[in-house]
Amino acid sequence: MTNWTGSLSLDLEDRKGKTVAKRVYFQGALKVMRPIYLDDSGQVCYYLLNPGGGYLDGDRYKLEFTADEGSKVTLTTQSATKVYKTPKSHAYQETTIHLKKDSYLEYLPDPLIAYENAHYKQKNVVHMDRGATFLSTDILTPGWSPSGGKFSYDTIQLVSEIYVDGQIGVFDHIKLVPKQQSVSGLGFMEGYTHLGSMLVVSEYTNNAFIDELYEAIQLEQADFKAGISKLAVSGFSIRILANSTQVIERILNNCHKLISEKWLNRTPNSLRKY
Amino acid sequence: MTNNILSLFQLCDSNLPTGAFSHSFGLESYIQEDKVYDKETFFEWLKVYLHEQLIYTDGLASLLVYEALTEGNIQEIWHLDRLLTVQNLPRETREGTQMIGDRMLKLTESLYELPILSQYRAEIKKKNAFGHPAIVFTMVAHGLEVEKQDTIRFYLYSSISSQIQNAVRAIPLGQTAGQMITHNFIPELNAAVDKILQLSKDDFGIVSPGIELSQMQHERVNIRIFMS
Repeated sequence: MTNWTGSLSLDLEDRKGKTVAKRVYFQGALKVMRPIYLDDSGQVCYYLLNPGGGYLDGDRYKLEFTADEGSKVTLTTQSATKVYKTPKSHAYQETTIHLKKDSYLEYLPDPLIAYENAHYKQKNVVHMDRGATFLSTDILTPGWSPSGGKFSYDTIQLVSEIYVDGQIGVFDHIKLVPKQQSVSGLGFMEGYTHLGSMLVVSEYTNNAFIDELYEAIQLEQADFKAGISKLAVSGFSIRILANSTQVIERILNNCHKLISEKWLNRTPNSLRKY
Repeated sequence: MTNNILSLFQLCDSNLPTGAFSHSFGLESYIQEDKVYDKETFFEWLKVYLHEQLIYTDGLASLLVYEALTEGNIQEIWHLDRLLTVQNLPRETREGTQMIGDRMLKLTESLYELPILSQYRAEIKKKNAFGHPAIVFTMVAHGLEVEKQDTIRFYLYSSISSQIQNAVRAIPLGQTAGQMITHNFIPELNAAVDKILQLSKDDFGIVSPGIELSQMQHERVNIRIFMS
């Protein structure tokens, strides 16, 4: 199966304190915009976009990123990932990331919106050297249907595998099938509609910093439920349940800001485009 | 072999000193939030815990370890041990499970002279493995020539029955209520086994966000009777 609806590959390296692309390639329904430097830190920011405006029946997307030693990059999307109904075959996205020692890669996509009867599977595989830092976030919305009903999609499945020095260090598997599960209820979404996650693997992690992030999360005023915990490898995960994308974004942004300030000594700019 | 079933019963006894009685796997968070407060709400919680978390982790792992033992594919077992550990994102639950696995291994090593148990111990010592109760249990059951589906069935029974004992103490519920729940839960366990037999490796590690979140939140619970 080499027929990709869209594929994209981006290799980055550090040139005298500035991260630049060594190689950029994209074809089909995936595109990367020109690099943006939001401040003088040398960290580069790329916006990824799907010119088709959404994922359709049987679509398959492949993304590949490589960050060489010392490079620093933010990857984000231009707008929410929309998955339309998939009557025949599910939509699929596969992302592979290679991180060399002392590189920093953050992947901060917009929320996922699965439409009525949409089936979407996403697989993220990260191979990192010890000493690299990887950060990613995900926001799952209850989707969209013409009648306004929530959770009308068929399936959302997200798999993340993070390997550190060749050994698996994090495995995360979420699969929501609203027609088979009481998704909004006890044990699932606990009555909330939106789910946010953050996964961070970094040697910089320590218990005091996790406590600090926990305190920052508690500052949120709206109704939400969140948990943070240390991973089996050096790093942590955060899960948030809330009733809007905005609340989850606010909490994730606060955590992201703390991480950038503490670990990179920079204050991040807003990435959002509207 | 039927005459070995009694030996496996011993591992299902909630008196087995593995420390399982000090781990609620997030149940205590629900009790403190008043989401689980009687036998009906606990039954609902237990169903989600079994069907949306346990079958895709411990249950499926038991099946895969059993098959790996039959095929003599020992490397696959150490791989599953690692996957079970790293997919368990909440620290307390992960470390608690590891502790229970370690104690169960120590105990079964002194009860049985199964080479695979000593191999497991050696891998843990070398830091190639972490230790997990579902794996130890499956090794013993396979050694006792208990069939695959019964191995999974007994393992799930032992996990669920220790959770019921925890609920009896923590909610609290009467002993009779506890027995009623166990009795009424048997069809759920049988359905779970049927489902696990249909699963493949691709289904491994699916978690229910709410249950997982409550296991993370337990770290921040101030007054507690459980370690997880």
